[in-house]
Amino acid sequence: MLKARGDRGCCDRCAGAAGMADAARVARRRLFKDAVFGLTPDLAPDPGPLGREGDGPGASGQGPGSGPAEPGLTDAGRLPRAVTGTVLDVSPHVLVIGDLDGPGPEQRFTLTADAMTWRGGQAEPTGLHQGDQAVVRLHPSQRAVVDRIWANIGRVTGTIVEQGHDFVIVDEGAIRRRQTVRIPARAAGRIQVRFPTLQPGYLIDVIGLRQDDHLEGLIPATSQPAYPADRLPEPPLISGHVPDTISGSATWHEPTTGEPPGVLGAYYPALDPETGCVEDTIAGYPRGYARMPYLAVGSALMIRNDCSGTSCVLPVTGCAAVARLFNDRCVTCGTSPRGRVADLTQASFVALGGELDKGCFNATISIGR
Amino acid sequence: MHIIFMAGEVQIPLLAALLLGGCATKLGRAFRAGSLDAALGPTALFPVRLRRPVAIAMSGLELGLGVGLIATAGRFGSHAPAECVRLGTALLFVVATCALLELRSVRPEIGCGCFGELSTSPVNWRTLTRPALLAVAALSTLRLGSVQQARSGGQAATMLGMLVAELILIACLSPELGEALVRLGYSEPCELRVLPAERTLAALRRSKQWRRHAGLLTADMPVDMWRELCWRYLVFPARYGDREAEVVFGVFLRQRRPLVRVALIDAATGAALSWPSPPARGPWRGRSFLRHVVAPSPAPRATPGTGLPLSTDI
Repeated sequence: MLKARGDRGCCDRCAGAAGMADAARVARRRLFKDAVFGLTPDLAPDPGPLGREGDGPGASGQGPGSGPAEPGLTDAGRLPRAVTGTVLDVSPHVLVIGDLDGPGPEQRFTLTADAMTWRGGQAEPTGLHQGDQAVVRLHPSQRAVVDRIWANIGRVTGTIVEQGHDFVIVDEGAIRRRQTVRIPARAAGRIQVRFPTLQPGYLIDVIGLRQDDHLEGLIPATSQPAYPADRLPEPPLISGHVPDTISGSATWHEPTTGEPPGVLGAYYPALDPETGCVEDTIAGYPRGYARMPYLAVGSALMIRNDCSGTSCVLPVTGCAAVARLFNDRCVTCGTSPRGRVADLTQASFVALGGELDKGCFNATISIGR
Repeated sequence: MHIIFMAGEVQIPLLAALLLGGCATKLGRAFRAGSLDAALGPTALFPVRLRRPVAIAMSGLELGLGVGLIATAGRFGSHAPAECVRLGTALLFVVATCALLELRSVRPEIGCGCFGELSTSPVNWRTLTRPALLAVAALSTLRLGSVQQARSGGQAATMLGMLVAELILIACLSPELGEALVRLGYSEPCELRVLPAERTLAALRRSKQWRRHAGLLTADMPVDMWRELCWRYLVFPARYGDREAEVVFGVFLRQRRPLVRVALIDAATGAALSWPSPPARGPWRGRSFLRHVVAPSPAPRATPGTGLPLSTDI
């Protein structure tokens, strides 16, 4: 399992471990695919031979290693690093992160005056509490120095199933338990501007402070789609081949059951219906807005943050069953095309330069190894 | 004067066809979406709880007026019944024009929904002109009386010419026509095509590659199968001499005679192996006792060698 905590960079060339998937099986799949197309791992071109009729050495007449240029992967050493864990201690100059119950070692990081902290809003690092769950981005050039901290940040994305006076209950898909979002009076106006229809059947996407049994909703992560979740608009038809790169919005999700915090990976909206989302087996469950090429768990995506220019290859680790219901745009830098192209783990999102409290970044994905 | 009467007589079948067509496409969309209130358009102007009854009422009204126009075209519905139906049709199109004007200002991103999912492009001057013209056409039939058959070939040709001209005018005012033509000629890219795994397996078993290498396989069901873009990969356990091996097929996802690529991998080391020569035929083919779940073989080590065995099945 490739984790951000290790010594490897965020985006190693062979990020072939998949969060919840069997890492060995994923590695075998990559090996087998290379063998079928006669490619040598780590030298092979991307992504042409993988998906197009007539591509590949045998069919195209090109020799192994020829084809489209290798994606311009960013030097892993220059990528910001993401660390997740529990705050064990904090002082004006040092942050200690660890695992309260686990065997993981303590990690100490230097806090500078430039370090920004979010804990329900902008705060001083000393405002962190022992036991807070933190996602930390390290300085790109000084790996022991903290660049940004998000404490107890949470997100609920899904379909409203029940509405109360100051709360809503949200369905986040077939494999996640329902979430309660409490909206405090100080954030109600801000959220209702972007989510005017807090009624059952409509979509919601809210970021806030994670509490024991609910999320305290503080920030709207997007604008509410005008349609109910079961009445998605028809996506535009695509003729010919699907483009090699697809642009849209990249979002993040909280760790799901069985997904270790800190894992690098992305949920993808179009897993092969034969082996993909649990939701695909439920009659009447909406298939989603995005018309994207079908992939499997373990497939590799090169994800580029169009706002920061950072990119890296991440494995598909699961199905973005809820993200595919949104046809929203990300407006972090410019206006992205409609649709969510990837739902990243927190560590991946932060490592790619995303700000968790903003909810998304404009992204371009390429499908490759 | 005679020409004006002939023009009026052309409107009845045209209006009826448009009303029934609109109703059929709305119901078709509702049927596919599994909900009667799935149609959008001016229903989006109403509160959520009213959208479903409004959608049902609109479809019912179109159906009733379409059938009514046909039923009252002859002597059966002359005078009062015919005039009521034709007046109702004119009113429907007047209201539709006003509703589209309102929709354009309130929800400019929504299509008119006139012909179900074909009418998804935002309301524009063409979409607005069409119901206004149809309202005029319906009003022109109010004093027409019952529709008469053409008395001569020349008269029939004139009426046919009028019908064609009006159809062309309506086609020019209908963004749905372009959408319908696109859908008629649309072929889904292979990356987006849903193809059952059983069909891939069946296509693989019909392929030359399968016949050539089946002798090595020790099971007829794959131990792993996954899809990426236009290819589905199937891994079968195999035995090569006294070594455990795995045969990997890559099948291009198309309906007929798919491209098949294949490689032989050493199960223990992950290294690619050369194909045995000549290939032997498998004694087990067609036997059912080997149809069992095969446990995955141990994960191979990393890098395969170069010069991998490759062959293609065109």
